[in-house]
Amino acid sequence: MSVVIDIHTHPAFFECINTDPEKLEFRRQNMGLYKAGVTPLQHIFNQMNYAGIDRLALLPLDLTTIIGKSVVSNNEIASIVQETPDRFIGFASVDPHHKDAVKTLEYAFEELHLSGLKLHPSKQKFYPTDSELHPIYECCIRHNKPILFHAGISLEPDTNSEYARPILFEEVAIHYSKLRFCLAHFGWPWVTETAALLLKYPNIYADTGLLYFDSAREFYDHVFKTELGEHWIDRSLRHQVMFGSNNPRFEQIRMLEALRAMDWRETTLDLVLGENALAFLG
Amino acid sequence: MYKLEKFVFLTERYNQMILLTDQLHIVVANSGIQNGLVAVITMHTTTGIGVNENLECLESDIDNALKRLVPEDLPYAHARILPDYGSTAGNPTGHIKSMLTGNSCVFPVMEGKLVMGDAQDVFLYEFDGPAKRTVTITVIGE
Repeated sequence: MSVVIDIHTHPAFFECINTDPEKLEFRRQNMGLYKAGVTPLQHIFNQMNYAGIDRLALLPLDLTTIIGKSVVSNNEIASIVQETPDRFIGFASVDPHHKDAVKTLEYAFEELHLSGLKLHPSKQKFYPTDSELHPIYECCIRHNKPILFHAGISLEPDTNSEYARPILFEEVAIHYSKLRFCLAHFGWPWVTETAALLLKYPNIYADTGLLYFDSAREFYDHVFKTELGEHWIDRSLRHQVMFGSNNPRFEQIRMLEALRAMDWRETTLDLVLGENALAFLG
Repeated sequence: MYKLEKFVFLTERYNQMILLTDQLHIVVANSGIQNGLVAVITMHTTTGIGVNENLECLESDIDNALKRLVPEDLPYAHARILPDYGSTAGNPTGHIKSMLTGNSCVFPVMEGKLVMGDAQDVFLYEFDGPAKRTVTITVIGE
């Protein structure tokens, strides 16, 4: 079996970065995960081992110009990855409205050795086509690093979906054909928009971090077999869909089990569970 | 007089049985209580406390019986986003298994020792792991 990578997880409640109760409560309220408990790293490893997940991508979020600070900082991500580099892949975040965004990103890639960039249009209040994003995109291309964009509706407070409709990313794909980027959550509820973009633009990826109704099996069956044609991923999009759980909001273990139960070729499953993430990361 | 101790476990499997009997003996012995009761209570709603014989074959039979009674692939109403949590509730089977096993057990304490049958052991049942779990062991008496 090939490598299994969860490309979309939030380490906001890891014990090692939650020694301050105020910061913990801030994270709960900001992310809309109101009862999230502090998680020892060993618990994370137990979950990974049980589910057969080799590595997690850890996502921060920089909200400096919105609320004056990061939900999880690049330095915190780097510190976690440094402790266990074989299990974690660290992403950076920058606030696109901040005048030093590119400088911060250069530092994250060159000094903190982070592997990609996480941006959240709805939370950070920008449109993917805004001109202030252009130097950020160019920086990512220069460093051969991908971007994981939140796409579709967000369950976090103070988020507006109008910033994150999948179709808004088409212009980015056209103008930055060398930029690899992922539409997280498959852009739900606009999953057919996402599928259409994946079909046309090979530099766009999508992750499976969507579980907005029902059990994982029921929801994946609905989205990937009814809303989308049941063969679309297996036949046409197999090199662009990545396993991402959006843990801790969604059920990492049961989502993975549901993906393993899809009627895809074994080679498609290998691609979705890990090989596509390796290609995405570059 | 009473003595309460908490034990934290990081479980490793989705469904798992963890032996607690040694912890009971230690808490009773350290409590200084000669005659009374000891109660074992889990602090969660997707775990259980059970008393049974510590045999591999029984562990499999209990696990399989609960899986037959509470299959994973039924359309449970609890499979949804919980707004108060902001996260999915994908663990209806854990809640139902917890209800079936109960969340506690009680044993007598006499002359400073736990009174148990020869075949009896106490287990924490994990029904939604891996997870971080806390169990209280309380000795009440004199």
